[in-house]
Amino acid sequence: MKISWLIAGLIFAAGVVVAGLALMYYLPLDMRDRSPLQPLAFSHKVHAGDNGIHCLFCHRYAPESPVAGIPAVADCRACHLFISPDAPEIKKLMLYWEKREPIPWVRVYSLPDHVYFPHMMHIRARLSCTVCHDEVAAMERVARSAELKMGWCLNCHRQHKASIDCWTCHK
Amino acid sequence: MKRRTFLQLSGMTAAGTVLSGCQSGNEKLIPYLVPPDEGVTPGKADYYASSCRFCPAGCGILVRVSEGRAKKIEGNPAHPVNRGKLCAMGQAVLQELYHPDRVPQPLKRSGPRGSGAFTRISWEESLELLAGQLRALQREKATDRLALVTPQLNGTLVELTTRFMRVFGSPHHLSFDLLGPDWLRTATRRSFGQPGLPWYDVAETRYLLSFGADFVEHHLSPVQYGYAFGRMRQGRDTVRGHFTYVGGRMSLTGASADRWMPARPGSEGALALGMARLILAESLSDAGSLAVNGLQTEKLLRRLEAYDLPRVAEQTGLPQRIIAEVAREFATTRPALAMAGETVAFQSNGPDAVRAVQMLNLLVGNLNRPGGVYPDGGSRVGPENSFTELLSLVAAMRDGRFRVAMIHGDPVHAIPPATGFQEALARVPFIVSFSSLMDDTALQADLILPDHAALESWGDVIPLAGTRDRVIGLMQPVVTPLFDTRQFPDVLMAMADKLGGKTAAFPYQSYQEMLKGTMEKRVGRAARRDFETVWVELLRQGGLFETRQGQEKGYRRAPGSSLPNPAEPRFAGDEKRFPLHLLVYPSIAFYDGRGAPLPWLQQLPDPMTTVVWDSWVEINPRTAAEMGIGFGDLVEVTSPQGAMRLPAVIYPGIRPDMVAIPLGQGHRGMGRYARGRGSNPLVLLALITDGTETRPAWHATRVRLTRISEKGELVTAGHPQGSYRSELIEI
Repeated sequence: MKISWLIAGLIFAAGVVVAGLALMYYLPLDMRDRSPLQPLAFSHKVHAGDNGIHCLFCHRYAPESPVAGIPAVADCRACHLFISPDAPEIKKLMLYWEKREPIPWVRVYSLPDHVYFPHMMHIRARLSCTVCHDEVAAMERVARSAELKMGWCLNCHRQHKASIDCWTCHK
Repeated sequence: MKRRTFLQLSGMTAAGTVLSGCQSGNEKLIPYLVPPDEGVTPGKADYYASSCRFCPAGCGILVRVSEGRAKKIEGNPAHPVNRGKLCAMGQAVLQELYHPDRVPQPLKRSGPRGSGAFTRISWEESLELLAGQLRALQREKATDRLALVTPQLNGTLVELTTRFMRVFGSPHHLSFDLLGPDWLRTATRRSFGQPGLPWYDVAETRYLLSFGADFVEHHLSPVQYGYAFGRMRQGRDTVRGHFTYVGGRMSLTGASADRWMPARPGSEGALALGMARLILAESLSDAGSLAVNGLQTEKLLRRLEAYDLPRVAEQTGLPQRIIAEVAREFATTRPALAMAGETVAFQSNGPDAVRAVQMLNLLVGNLNRPGGVYPDGGSRVGPENSFTELLSLVAAMRDGRFRVAMIHGDPVHAIPPATGFQEALARVPFIVSFSSLMDDTALQADLILPDHAALESWGDVIPLAGTRDRVIGLMQPVVTPLFDTRQFPDVLMAMADKLGGKTAAFPYQSYQEMLKGTMEKRVGRAARRDFETVWVELLRQGGLFETRQGQEKGYRRAPGSSLPNPAEPRFAGDEKRFPLHLLVYPSIAFYDGRGAPLPWLQQLPDPMTTVVWDSWVEINPRTAAEMGIGFGDLVEVTSPQGAMRLPAVIYPGIRPDMVAIPLGQGHRGMGRYARGRGSNPLVLLALITDGTETRPAWHATRVRLTRISEKGELVTAGHPQGSYRSELIEI
């Protein structure tokens, strides 16, 4: 075999790798699980949909803090001491409480550290939760509906005439 | 397995690894088990105003607290001392709170002393243990066999400790700080009749002459003076203040100067008087100021005859031309300001040298004037002779006069062994330490009653000398205590309660209540009516800040006070055997060693030499070349008192006849970040006895150097892998 073939092969291989990386970069590929399996089969449909519990009843810090917050294990337990205590998933919940362990929920929405996203400002602007989170009340298991890329944020900010200054989100 | 299958499998594994790498690291959402109390909002921070008590400057701080955890400290913009600025030590106080080696609860010694073997006991048991010891002293009518050793305290803590010792019946309370400004109080009393600390108006002055006062690093109130120095240089449109620094080693302050005058150690007082003589001889002095202070030019000139220019030049090792030039600049630029610092004060002739510098201020008439000195600007209460008290305490301890010693702070590390303190302390049968970290003193103790960290404590901090205004900074707990610790004053009160001295002497339930009561007395009568609101407001803004109103009362030379006449400096060690002067200076990160346990400060490269994590000895390149010492070599520094091995730093900013070692390292305890790191140069220092009086002449020791090997294992920020020849990188 000639050495030129080997060189050509190497160049070709490098080209394939570069092209592959470029594709991965430019195509809107989202490799992350949009609806991960949770440690408990918690149904937003049952809670928010069928029973009509308001989002802010559990995510109670959203109107006053950058993070919406998730209910403490004690809060879940307080209701389920009386509501369907014999369901298998509730028994799992009580097991966490008895072991004094918090439930390791898998995060569905997450932003990188260089983005500052305050929940309270969006709630003060009277934006409905469904704008970003979609109809969670109809979801058996929560799925991420938005891609959470900068263009998506900017679009919404432009539509609502909100600030698009860099310092608004990056600080 | 076939070759092909293997390749397929390995390809799939590689692809899987790449894909899983795309997942975000932060993917778990952990809830609280029990929701937090009212007032805690996850994701939202609260800011608490408090005070820094790390060094005596007493800056105001704002602590950011999020979800019940202290996260960040910055300066309090409303505080008159630091105006929103803060030094590295103040920022690092956070790490004291979360230090992994804090003492979590009272400890009782279970092995031999110094072995570090302790068992955990409860507070009830430990307090009963101490009370039992103290009761035994009371029963035997030997209450004066109790000693209390603390740093120089201020505010209500002084009141409390004094009251405790008085009620118990022991006069032996030693409040000693290695770097305490006793010398300045003494000098001010002898010059001006009262023992206050001066406040220098650096911001407004046009000519600053510092005799070894490193005010950018540690002198009196570094944040305040650093800020004022910036304003002196750049705060005015037309004037850029001039700064001349006198001292054998170029410190960070010296490096900020326009002119550096490396006078021979111990000759600074003579230099000041030489300048004074020149100013008087050329009639450049302020006639009004001389008249007001009862001085006559002719008389003064006659007294200063000995300080003629050629002789002063010879003593200081500086050219005549330069001395004359600086003296003329100083006298003709108004306002001009002269400061004296530790480098001058801790010489054998220190007291008179400091007064000589103070006289320069008098000659140019800048007392109580903008851009000058306000001699009563700083805190007026404070010990003047704590070193003498230390020596007498040590003598008594050595004679076995004490049965119980209660110790706050870390004197075992911060007192030079030449005083004999460490040996004498070993003869005390029962030692109680209040350290919150396992420091050198706690290791020697029989009982440890851990104090709160600063961010968990109540307290009042009166700034030493950072402002002319009346300022009482308040400390408040910003987090609930992490461990089962108790505040030192609360322990004293509990002890008084157990010994039955509570009702009359301690009418308060807790230290917090006492603090509140004292503040109520301090605020004006009008505010006292609705004190609860005032108290909350005081805590909110960080203390009581009152701007000084009206004219200063005239501050004059004390009538009949003698003129300063610094003697020839004397040094410990024979000049032939020990040819070099030793300067031991407080490093910008560790102060007297209390900063060493905090990793942020350990990682802070020294601003002049860029050394990290270690101790070192600074040697002039010429001296080093003569002795064949290279950068990073291991050298032995020997003084008449002791010896130690250190890596060498070749440093052009030091006189050839001088070497310098920073303070603060060389702890045996103090947690995992400080333990066994570097060396404590205090073991080299010898005491200077002058007839009957022994002085804290820490800079009057001579040393010699011996090169040991080329493996100093020096790590600097300039050469992060270590010195060129270090074994760490094997070149």
